[in-house]
Amino acid sequence: MAKSDDCMRILQGLLVFGNVVIGMCGIALTAECIYFVSDPHGLYPLLEDTENNDIHAAAWIGIFVGFALFALSILGIIGIIKSDRTLLLVYIILMLITFAFEMASCITAATHRDFLTPNIFLKQMLERYQNSEPANNNDKLMIEGVTKTWDKIMLQNHCCGVLGPSDWQEYTSAFRVTHSDADFPWPRKCCAMDEQGLPISLDGCKLGVPGYYNSDGCYDAISGPMNTHAWGVAWFGFAILCWTFCVLLGTMFYWSGIEY
Amino acid sequence: LPYVPRVPSVALLGKVTATTFALERPCCIFNQHANALDSIWLVVAFANATATFRNPSSRADVPPYKQLPTAHSYMTLEMAAATYTCSAPSPAILRVGSDTACRDQATQDPCNGPLPSPGPYRVKFLLMGCHGPKAETRWSRPILLRRALSPSTIDPAPTRHGSDVVVLISILASLGTVLATAVLGALGAKVWGSLCHQDLGTSAFVRRSYRTHHIPPALPQPLPPGCRC
Repeated sequence: MAKSDDCMRILQGLLVFGNVVIGMCGIALTAECIYFVSDPHGLYPLLEDTENNDIHAAAWIGIFVGFALFALSILGIIGIIKSDRTLLLVYIILMLITFAFEMASCITAATHRDFLTPNIFLKQMLERYQNSEPANNNDKLMIEGVTKTWDKIMLQNHCCGVLGPSDWQEYTSAFRVTHSDADFPWPRKCCAMDEQGLPISLDGCKLGVPGYYNSDGCYDAISGPMNTHAWGVAWFGFAILCWTFCVLLGTMFYWSGIEY
Repeated sequence: LPYVPRVPSVALLGKVTATTFALERPCCIFNQHANALDSIWLVVAFANATATFRNPSSRADVPPYKQLPTAHSYMTLEMAAATYTCSAPSPAILRVGSDTACRDQATQDPCNGPLPSPGPYRVKFLLMGCHGPKAETRWSRPILLRRALSPSTIDPAPTRHGSDVVVLISILASLGTVLATAVLGALGAKVWGSLCHQDLGTSAFVRRSYRTHHIPPALPQPLPPGCRC
């Protein structure tokens, strides 16, 4: 009996420790997801236009799940220290609900990351960038968002197109409709700029002389932050869930061992 | 002249686009034949029309840019002979088709307008003096311009999911199932136990910790020395 008492004490201690870790991880998850939702790289308009912004939704769920985990971990610590069956039952049920939500968020982030291929951005860029014939007002907003985002990406990262400037040559585009091929083999933002924001040599840029235009593709600059976003939500959430699983099993074991 | 005009071999991304192409500038080719008043033209013709092309006898007969669809050839890039001498400092690339402004004007001046179709085209340089053509280079090899595809041919569908996604989903699903089963099992056993009024001590899921007062068995007390029967 004394042994089982000791066992229970050890289990109590372990569960309190487990809940402390869950609480801290919950806060970390909330902070991480708030960072992703705030879109520091300004890439959200691209996602919004592809109607594939489920990794954004996963981050939003992550914010609330993180906060719920923190609150529930405090409840769990109180319940374990007091050995109160009702509190622990409430804790277990609410934790299961949170577990289910976090599972949904992880799986969504992980699977939808795979949808973000170079082709989807290429198609969007060719059809939307500087498109001068929007179908309706909503379309116009999307087009402006995509154009501004691409201009920003190309200027900041010194890149052009998704896979390279030849994207603009290999495919016709909405840009090509308003800008002739002879004057604009690729957009002006692809040219190497001086301090005033003007191309260093327009002829060099049009001819494709190395050094006067940006020859890299922008796909790395786009997919890098998005990958971090998706994997951050998915794998951190997965780690939290594995830990929570163990703590929940321990709590259920503890709950069933409490005397009435 | 034995010179063959060619697209520069240097790696330039824009040397052939959908409506323009670049050529190496010929240096020192016309030195023997040209004097200061001559001009050098570039003849651009469809590859199948080179056989029927006749050099114009004077500057007035030069086919302009607008005649390309009908005559299948035109002449452009009129330059003074001095620009093609050995010591010419200007860049070594000529761009055919770079002037979009003259395309819509109805002038007869030489216009270096963009090419309307992908070709293929062949070019040659022609040295024109006051009395007519004086020298010419050979025809170049056929130059085919780029043809652009429509973006609707791009297939944005993703390749199959990565294996780590599958691992993540399967592990999460199994964890969730185990948890759900455990909770349901615990609750079910409790409900079953309370319904059937079973002896809780024998139930596997519900344990009670009996806190017993340990009563040691009474030890045989030695008789007090004063009691004697």
